[in-house]
Amino acid sequence: MIRENKNNSRRQTFLSMVILSILMVIGVGIFITQSHFNPGILQKDAFLPGPNKNKPSSQLSPNASFVPLPEGIQPLTPTEIFDARNLSDKINGKAELYLSGGFTRLVSQRFRDEREADLWMEAFVYDMGNSQNAFSVFSAQRRQDAESLGLAQYAYKTPNALFLIHGRYYIEIIASKVSGQVLQPVKMMAETFIRNTPADAATVNETELFPKQELVQNSMVLISSNAFGYDGFDKIYTAEYEFDDHRLTAYLSHRRTPVEAKELASAYTVFLLAYGGKNIEAQMPIKGARLIEILDTYEIVFPHGSYLAGIREAATINQAKTLAIRLYHRIKEGGNESRSEQ
Amino acid sequence: MNPDPNSNGLTRRQFLDRLTKAGISITAACAAGFWFHDDKGPALSKNDPSNLILPDFSIDALGQKMSIVRGEDRVATLRMALKSLGGIETFIKKGDRVLLKVNAAFASPAMLSATTHPAIITEMIQLCFRAGAASVVVTDNPINDPASCFTLTGIADAARKAGARVLLPRDDLFSPITVKDAKLIRNWPVLYKPFTDITKVIGMAPLKDHHRSGASMIMKNWYGLLGGRRNIFHQDIHNIIMELAMMVKPSLVILDATTSMMTNGPTGGSLSDLKNTNTMIVSTDQVAADAFGASLLGRSLDELPFIGKAEAAGIGTADYHKLNPVMASI
Repeated sequence: MIRENKNNSRRQTFLSMVILSILMVIGVGIFITQSHFNPGILQKDAFLPGPNKNKPSSQLSPNASFVPLPEGIQPLTPTEIFDARNLSDKINGKAELYLSGGFTRLVSQRFRDEREADLWMEAFVYDMGNSQNAFSVFSAQRRQDAESLGLAQYAYKTPNALFLIHGRYYIEIIASKVSGQVLQPVKMMAETFIRNTPADAATVNETELFPKQELVQNSMVLISSNAFGYDGFDKIYTAEYEFDDHRLTAYLSHRRTPVEAKELASAYTVFLLAYGGKNIEAQMPIKGARLIEILDTYEIVFPHGSYLAGIREAATINQAKTLAIRLYHRIKEGGNESRSEQ
Repeated sequence: MNPDPNSNGLTRRQFLDRLTKAGISITAACAAGFWFHDDKGPALSKNDPSNLILPDFSIDALGQKMSIVRGEDRVATLRMALKSLGGIETFIKKGDRVLLKVNAAFASPAMLSATTHPAIITEMIQLCFRAGAASVVVTDNPINDPASCFTLTGIADAARKAGARVLLPRDDLFSPITVKDAKLIRNWPVLYKPFTDITKVIGMAPLKDHHRSGASMIMKNWYGLLGGRRNIFHQDIHNIIMELAMMVKPSLVILDATTSMMTNGPTGGSLSDLKNTNTMIVSTDQVAADAFGASLLGRSLDELPFIGKAEAAGIGTADYHKLNPVMASI
C-alpha cells in the first residue's frame, strides 16, 4: 500500500510537471507574440500614441549653442536632440540610412549670420559611434560634383553646404541660400566645431588597400549591410574603377577571422550561382579565387587572411583578373596593418 | 465501502467524485473561453470615432485627366497645365472650400526642393479664389516643429499673403481613422478635422528621391496626414503609400518636377542633389501622376512597387499614356 502511494504520488508529480511545462510554453509563446505586435493593426486606443507626442528633446535654452560659435554667428533656434527612436521625426525616410549604420544621436541647431540678415544655416551632428560608421553615411551620400576640403581627411563642399567626418561624428552644415560668401561662415563653424570637439582622427584604413591605378576619385563607399543584395554582406568597402570606358567595382571587407572570410566568400559564391551565375575555370595567382559569369558580366570572389575581397561587373575576364590581382597584392602587402579605428 | 485491493487507493465513490469535479472544471474553463472568445476581433461600434472616413473629393464627371507641361518657370507651367485641362474653373466652383495638402515636411529653404515650392502655392491659392472659392486652407503634419517647417520653407508666408489660412497640426485636429480593406491604417490618428468642412482637396508635392520608398511624389505626400508614431510604417512603406492613396481621393493633384531631387532624398540638403527636370504634372489620377514622375527620376515601375499596388487596388492607372495626357511646352 505504501509502495502504491509512492508510485501514485510520483506519477502525479510527473503529470503536474508536464502540465506546468505546457502552461509555461504557452505563456512564453504569448509573451513572444505580444512583444512582436503590429501597432499598425492594433485597435486599442489606449495603446495608440496620440499625434505629435514625440517632441524632440530641446534641453538647452533658446539662446544657447551646443558648440562654441565663431564671431558673428548666433543661434536662431534651440538645440534639438534626437535618438534612434525619433530620428525619423527630423529626417523622415532617410533615418533608415543612419540607423542601419550604427547611429546613436543627432544634435541639430539653426544659426544666423549677423552680417547677412536673410542667411541662416542648420548644423547636423550625427554621432555614429565610430569613424567607420561615420564614413559609411558620409560615403553613401557623397555628392559627385563636390569639391574636397582640407578641413578634415573626409570633407567636401557643395554650393550651399559642407559635409565632413570628425572622429565618430558625421557633420552637415547647410546654408539657406547660395552666394559668393555664404560658405565662409559655414566653414568657420566647422573649423570651430573641430577645434572644440575632441575626437580620434577619422582613420578608415581599408580605403588605403584599394589599388590607386584606374581608381575613380571619391568613389569609395562603405556599405553597412546587405551589400549587392546579399544579406550576409555587411561592412563592405567598395571602390569604382574605369577600364576602357567601362566601370567596374572592387570591394573588400575585414572579417573577424580567416575562417569567417573564407566561409563568407564561399556563401556569396553560392548566392551568385543560385541567381544564374556560371562558374568559370580560370588560372589566377590568388588562392581560393572563384570567377563567375553573371548577367553578361564577370565577378571574382576571394578570401585572403581575414579579408574577403572581390570584383564586380567587369566587362571582360581580363578586366576582372587584372583588378583582382592588383587588389590581392595590396591586401597582401598592407592588410595586416590597415585596420579601421573602431 | 472497502477499498479495492487492485485500485491505487481510490474508492469508486472517490473516483466518481473526482471525475465529476474535473469534468465541471473543464466545462467551466471551456465555457469561460467561449464566453470571452471574439472571432471577429474588436468591432467598430456606431459611436466609434474610427468609423470616420475621409470624404471622396474626386470629381466624377471629369474622369481621368492629365496634363504634362515642360518649362523652367513653374508658375507658367502650372497655369498652362490647368488651362489645358479646361482651366481652374473645371475643378473649383464658386463657394468651394479648398484644402491644399502641401509637403512641408522639413524646415529647409525652398531652394532645396524638399518641400512644395511657395511660388506654386501662391499661384494655386490665387487661382482658387479667382474661380470663386470661399476659402483655401493649407496644411500638413511635419512631426518635428511644424511652425519652423511652415515658416522656413516660405510656405506660411506664401499662403497667408495669397489669402489662405495656414492650419498647423494640433492634437484636436486628429481622429482615429480606419481605411476600408486596409491592413495598416486601422484606428490610426489622421489629420481629419481639416477635411470636415471643405469641398475640394488638391495635393501639391515636389518630385523627390526617397531613401526608403524609392520616390516621394503625390501618393507619398499623404503620409503627412498621419499622426502618432508613423515611422513604424517605414517598415512596410509600399503598402502604407498604397493605403494612403486609398484613404485620400483628391479633386486634383499637382506634381512639381521643375527642380527634382534626384539623390539623397527625401531631405537632400545640397543643390548637388537637384536636377532641373523642368516639368509640371497636373492630373486627376494620382497613380498616373506618380508613374510619370517615376520616369523623370529614372526609376522603373518595378523599382517603385507602391505604384503597381495602387493600380491593383483600383486607385488609378499606372500606364499614364492611357489617359492621353495633354503635352505642352513653354
